[in-house]
Amino acid sequence: QVQKFHISELELSFTQGRWNYEQWGGYDPMSTNNAKPPGVELWAIFDLPLAEIDATWKNLTHTLSGLFCASINFLESSTAFSAPRWGFKLNEGNLRYGALPREAVCTENLTPWLKLLPCRDKAGIASLLYRPSVYKGYYHSQKLKLKSSQSLGIILDQTLTVVLQPNTVSGKQLHSTGGQLQPSWSMEHLFSKKLSGKCLVSKSSRVFVEIEKGIVDNVDKAGSDVSSNNDLFVLSTAPDRSLKELDNLEVQSSSLYEYDVNNYNSDKPLNVGITWKLPLIWSCTRAPYHASRFLMGSGNERGSIAMSFLSTGLDKQLVDSSNDCSIKAVVFQVVPWYVKVYYHSLEVFIDGNSKAISEVVDKIHVTPSEDKLLPGTMEMLLKFPCSMQLATLTLDFDKGFLHIDEYPPDANQGFDIPSALVSFPEFNSSRSYPEADPLFVSPLLENFKEDGVVKSYTEVLLVPLTTPDFSMPYNVITFTCTVLALYFGSLLNALRRRIGEEERGLKKADKRGLIPLLIAKLRGQKVDPSESESTSPASLPRSKLLLKVVFVAVVAIVFHYLSNS
Amino acid sequence: MICRFNYRHMANTLSLYRTVKRLGIPDERIILMLADDMACNPRNNYPAQVFNNENHQLNLYGDNVEVDYRGYEVTVENFLRVLTGRHESAVPRSKRLLSDEGSHILLYMTGHGGDEFLKFQDNEELQSHDLADAVKQMKEKHRFKELLIMVDTCQAATLFSQLQSPGVLAIGSSMKGENSYSHHLDSDIGVSVVDRFTFHTLAFFEKLNMYSNASLNSLFNSYDPSMLLSTAYYRMDLYKRALNEVPVTNFFGSVMKTIHTDSAYTGFLAAHDAELPLSVGNNILDHVMLQNEASARRSNIEEMNVSFSKFCISFI
Repeated sequence: QVQKFHISELELSFTQGRWNYEQWGGYDPMSTNNAKPPGVELWAIFDLPLAEIDATWKNLTHTLSGLFCASINFLESSTAFSAPRWGFKLNEGNLRYGALPREAVCTENLTPWLKLLPCRDKAGIASLLYRPSVYKGYYHSQKLKLKSSQSLGIILDQTLTVVLQPNTVSGKQLHSTGGQLQPSWSMEHLFSKKLSGKCLVSKSSRVFVEIEKGIVDNVDKAGSDVSSNNDLFVLSTAPDRSLKELDNLEVQSSSLYEYDVNNYNSDKPLNVGITWKLPLIWSCTRAPYHASRFLMGSGNERGSIAMSFLSTGLDKQLVDSSNDCSIKAVVFQVVPWYVKVYYHSLEVFIDGNSKAISEVVDKIHVTPSEDKLLPGTMEMLLKFPCSMQLATLTLDFDKGFLHIDEYPPDANQGFDIPSALVSFPEFNSSRSYPEADPLFVSPLLENFKEDGVVKSYTEVLLVPLTTPDFSMPYNVITFTCTVLALYFGSLLNALRRRIGEEERGLKKADKRGLIPLLIAKLRGQKVDPSESESTSPASLPRSKLLLKVVFVAVVAIVFHYLSNS
Repeated sequence: MICRFNYRHMANTLSLYRTVKRLGIPDERIILMLADDMACNPRNNYPAQVFNNENHQLNLYGDNVEVDYRGYEVTVENFLRVLTGRHESAVPRSKRLLSDEGSHILLYMTGHGGDEFLKFQDNEELQSHDLADAVKQMKEKHRFKELLIMVDTCQAATLFSQLQSPGVLAIGSSMKGENSYSHHLDSDIGVSVVDRFTFHTLAFFEKLNMYSNASLNSLFNSYDPSMLLSTAYYRMDLYKRALNEVPVTNFFGSVMKTIHTDSAYTGFLAAHDAELPLSVGNNILDHVMLQNEASARRSNIEEMNVSFSKFCISFI
């Protein structure tokens, strides 16, 4: 399939939950590589002439939808995907990006993902995945990354990122401004299982526990060595190896404990856990700015999208605060066509003061939206002064109208604007751990070493649009049918009914009654029709009849003209 | 399997899905359509778990569920496309009903319905005429040999009142003017977890395994109107065989004919070990296979199973 679609790189991620950058970090390789926007995100780089890429993308979305039991086929139409040039990844126009923020992620998406692993979930680390634990956590994301090249073949990289909630936090969790109290946990406690050996087909299977430099610093301060059993914490099983991060600049560095699953089996299962001896409050390293996005305005006609960048203080530590220093940020945002953004209304406020666009925006590339054809894509390179505390960007938009068939069944919930991506090209979140054995290079540690630009995804926005009255088609049909029935009924009535006939019939019946009539017939008496009464009023009903016919005909003609024009 | 919005409809469909898988039909032959995500819904206290009984003993969602159409994709249009096979060219195989003239198909629908219609997604209906037309098209295109339609909605029997194609057997949980009721309420989850008709159907199947030959007659006779609080009505005027001769596994399960052979399978290439005794038709898929032998084997299995190919479509 990869060759059929001529894919050179592809990444598909399914995420439920939002990565909490304030509490879980924004500056480490884990959050840079594995924090994904909620729902489905798919991007692919094709090795094809530009004209054929859109058709191939459509077929790709359908194939992936069948493979992963998700509605990825909704990305097929041109209103759902975009082609960024440099805001997402630098490319020559052969990259396509699409996201579905509302896609649910559940066991049926994990099942095919696991089927791509050699031992599925029967052996190895994947056997730990107790579904209720995975889906009960704060965040879970499964990612599939594919790279295809002539020299290396096809490399498939599957990552499952889960942020779990251990239940041992008794009492209240302390949330001081610095961070939160760390809970003790173990594998058995989180997954109800222990790891009993690796998948036999795999080359290597390892479990790592990383202790970030903030905690390592605390341990060092306490005076003890960072081994698996020290004054601050104890690991439930002694690790096979421990690695220290290579960092030339500072003394403190993160530390990594490695467990080789090959050494464990069903008799001696592996249960990695940590118990804190002293209560520890830890906060993670955050990205230089906390990027967040929200909607402004009220009503169903227009509104504004606002994006805010709040300084987290990291920039002060890392960059010299000279007067002309600046921090770059790249913003990439795709907005569906029914939220019609007016890009000329972009306004920038730095620390509350309005600034000219040319001062802050270095480079901007906009593909404006076209109704029912294309979403609006915006790629911006911004330069913020280092001393800035808060920057806000606002964009005005008008809300569009959809055709009645285009509304989803729950139209009153609103429509989603997918997450925007904010990246800071000058900040790098790589971490380098030296490998003892050059033969068994761990792909995870390789990923950590890669130069990863710090990035964060903003929130998904929910925009309520005007919805039509969905009962109108039914109302129109009922109303029209009633009018037609009245028209035909009146017409036929006017043409066919003889006025006075009923009264004559009644009078006849009144005069004789039924039994006397029969008796009279039996006796052979003639029944005398009362003709005299019908002749005199005859002319009056006739003119009335004519008037009625003319009136109805006129109404009919007018109605026909109105309905046809 | 078509599933509609309430938890119990989802539980109905998943129970039947599980039963059918247990009795032997593989996922490739099942098209499961669930209109809403209940298992991983934030309001579900038990994430990734769906129960059909308040004792919570059985997690219907399990570890290996494969949903083919979900959420907004469950529409009348997609349903009719699945039945008639008229898809766009890009639609993958797992979303198509790949049946042929020897197939026995089970179609199970549950949800909210009424006189001659079944509700889809709160804004659409499937009418009995549409269903009858689709079945007629299927018959013209030789897409089934026998079709069993089970409907668990209010006034279910009206949904198949317009059918005319031969070879179709249909059973509904209630007749015109009657409602179908849910079985019991789970006070922990807060909603009813299963409907009566499906509950009794499952009770019947839990006693069976793949090789039992209980007949359709015994299934249909097991429905007791006093327990269902409605009359389960079945329509057999279009079905030519006597019901007591048809085993339920014809529709609900898949019994593979296995031939045990001691000779080596000639499809193997020399790279793998030769001289492996194989039973054709079971557990071959566990082995790692090269592309060409995989296709050779698949065609063999399909030939043998053409008279036993079962398909199961269930919706909510």
